[in-house]
Amino acid sequence: MRRVAVAAPARVIGAQERLAYLLLAPALLLIAALIFYPVSSTIATAFFATDKLGRLTSFAGWANFGALGADPAFWQIFRRTFLWTAIAVTVKTIAGMAFALLLNLPFHGRRVVRMLTVIPWALPFPISAMIWQWTYNSEFGLLNHFLSQTGLWPHPPAWLAQPTTAFAANLAVDIWIGLPFFALVFLAGLQAISPEFYEAAEIDGAGPLSTFVSVTLPVLRPVIVMASLLSVIWTFNDFSVPYIITKGGPINTTDILVTHLYKTAFQFLDFGPASAIAVITFATLLVFSLLYARLYFREVE
Amino acid sequence: MHRKLALAAIAMLCTGILALPAQGGGAVSIKAVWMEYDARFNTFWQQLKQDFEKTSPGITVDTVVVPWSEGHDRLVTWIAGNQAPDIAIVGTRWILEFNKMGVVEPVDTLFPKAFLAKFIGPALEARISGRLYGVPVALSARSLYYRTDLIKTPPQTWQDLLTVAQQANKPPDVYGIGVSGKKFAELTEYVYYLYGNGGDFFVINADGGYGKCRVNDAAGVEALQFMVDLANKYKVTEPNVGENDRGTLQDLFLAGKLAMIETGPWFGGMVQERAKNLQFAVAPMPHNQGKKQQTLLVTDSIIVFKSSKHKDAVVKFLQFAYDDPRRLEFDKDFGMLPTETSVSQNSFFQTAFYKPFIQQLPTAKPWPLMAEWSKVEDVMWNAVTAALLRAKAPQQALTDACREIDQARGVK
Repeated sequence: MRRVAVAAPARVIGAQERLAYLLLAPALLLIAALIFYPVSSTIATAFFATDKLGRLTSFAGWANFGALGADPAFWQIFRRTFLWTAIAVTVKTIAGMAFALLLNLPFHGRRVVRMLTVIPWALPFPISAMIWQWTYNSEFGLLNHFLSQTGLWPHPPAWLAQPTTAFAANLAVDIWIGLPFFALVFLAGLQAISPEFYEAAEIDGAGPLSTFVSVTLPVLRPVIVMASLLSVIWTFNDFSVPYIITKGGPINTTDILVTHLYKTAFQFLDFGPASAIAVITFATLLVFSLLYARLYFREVE
Repeated sequence: MHRKLALAAIAMLCTGILALPAQGGGAVSIKAVWMEYDARFNTFWQQLKQDFEKTSPGITVDTVVVPWSEGHDRLVTWIAGNQAPDIAIVGTRWILEFNKMGVVEPVDTLFPKAFLAKFIGPALEARISGRLYGVPVALSARSLYYRTDLIKTPPQTWQDLLTVAQQANKPPDVYGIGVSGKKFAELTEYVYYLYGNGGDFFVINADGGYGKCRVNDAAGVEALQFMVDLANKYKVTEPNVGENDRGTLQDLFLAGKLAMIETGPWFGGMVQERAKNLQFAVAPMPHNQGKKQQTLLVTDSIIVFKSSKHKDAVVKFLQFAYDDPRRLEFDKDFGMLPTETSVSQNSFFQTAFYKPFIQQLPTAKPWPLMAEWSKVEDVMWNAVTAALLRAKAPQQALTDACREIDQARGVK
């Protein structure tokens, strides 16, 4: 049997449609110039050797990636970035939920507290990082002064002077900055839950915990998924906190991929390897986002 | 109708965007990038700009002041983006790297001979293969600052230094001597101990070039071991060495918490301004017993970028900036040593404060001049900090560092 090819009706772009494209054109051009061009040029640079100005000199194939793979320091930083992201996002999600539940309770001054909660998120991140750098200072900083004066910790460590404490100190600041975002997004989610659900749960004799597990969490699920996905991307790429507070030190022990990338590019002028790090970061986050989205949509279905 | 309006709007938007880069034509404008020196006041550059513009109609100076710790990376970003300024202050040690990029104009043909003849020998450091690539702007030698209320006789050798530090050390109120373990724009204080122990960073090849890394030899390791012992064995430093860089060590001294600190001449003015009651004096940098006294000499230079379209205006501006009264003003404001013979004879420099600095100049040694210096410095910082934090023994740390440095420089 012969299939009859049905010719699609010749599409005439209507005047209105043309106007739409015309109006979109400046924005599309800007997106192409500001996103598509840098991304593709970075990907290209990752496969080339460059001079100290970042101009491509010769095709290098996978050599930049190979050199990174053979560098134990890179793997250390790669693993550390995952650890950094995992701890920070987990804590932010759980603590953000706790905060949201508290802020959802009726109490006097709730509006003021809600507003105050936003402050760490509303401040420019580099400024927060600078304030914390001074707060952590072991000689002049508020934190150790407070800890030792109140007797809570008579001899607190010099936080930024040792690798482990410096890493923890950086994490704490990242969490401090990111927490309000979770708290507010979750709070908005909580307020959108119809009181009828809770009434029904109460009639069924559910306690607070089982209400939370079987009513609040399932309804909030999409919000939790989106907030934590965004936070993974932001935390993975958090430059201002580790770069300003410790500059990745001591001994590069607080470097994460993005600070390592910056140093490779602008301190050592190795633009090829730096672009390779950028491509790896991009690919890692892309794969993660795709898996995450797939998991999420499958569950929703 | 709507369509016509929309089209008109787009057309206007486009012309608007196109018109943007066309601003400010006509007069010659020089973009100058200055680095932020530790200073009592930072009005020098603004004043210079105003004075110059008054006497030179038609030329304006666009001044950008950048902190030292960001200076290198910012310049690189500008250069890479084809946005290099006309002139910039750089650490002379950066010039090799910039020259390798092919962006630095030699200054020996740009300026008249008489202009370059003003400078004292050690200041003209920016020579590469016989050409001069930078006009000296700042010169410093490093010395030991000590509190005269705590220390009567300044130490001359490391052995004296340890004794004096032990006597003055009264933690947590006062620590004997400051040692920094946090990365800074230069490798303080390891270089002072290295040079004061007859050590060096690289073997010098027969042709004068830099060969293999040698900080892991006896002199280099002994220097680092001494720093580590000050911090960990004798505990005469501030306890949190990993947290401090040169800047915060200076803050500690100003707060009265250090009996001794090793830094440059600018710090004298800072003490007078910020800690008036602190009694201090300056002495030559201590050295290991039996070794030659030697300290670090640092010069900063002004480079002219090849891409500058107004080199005549640049030359005119710098000649204006380099008259003696202005240079004296610069040295006073920023606490630098004189770079010109005529300025060095000024009575301002004939004081007890400046004596140790000037006295050390003839034997003082500069940083190595190499294109890979920022990588070398980063690796060295990691080694020094690792030893100070006891993550590695000094010998191990420096051997690892040398391996990494030689590998990065492609030296076998």
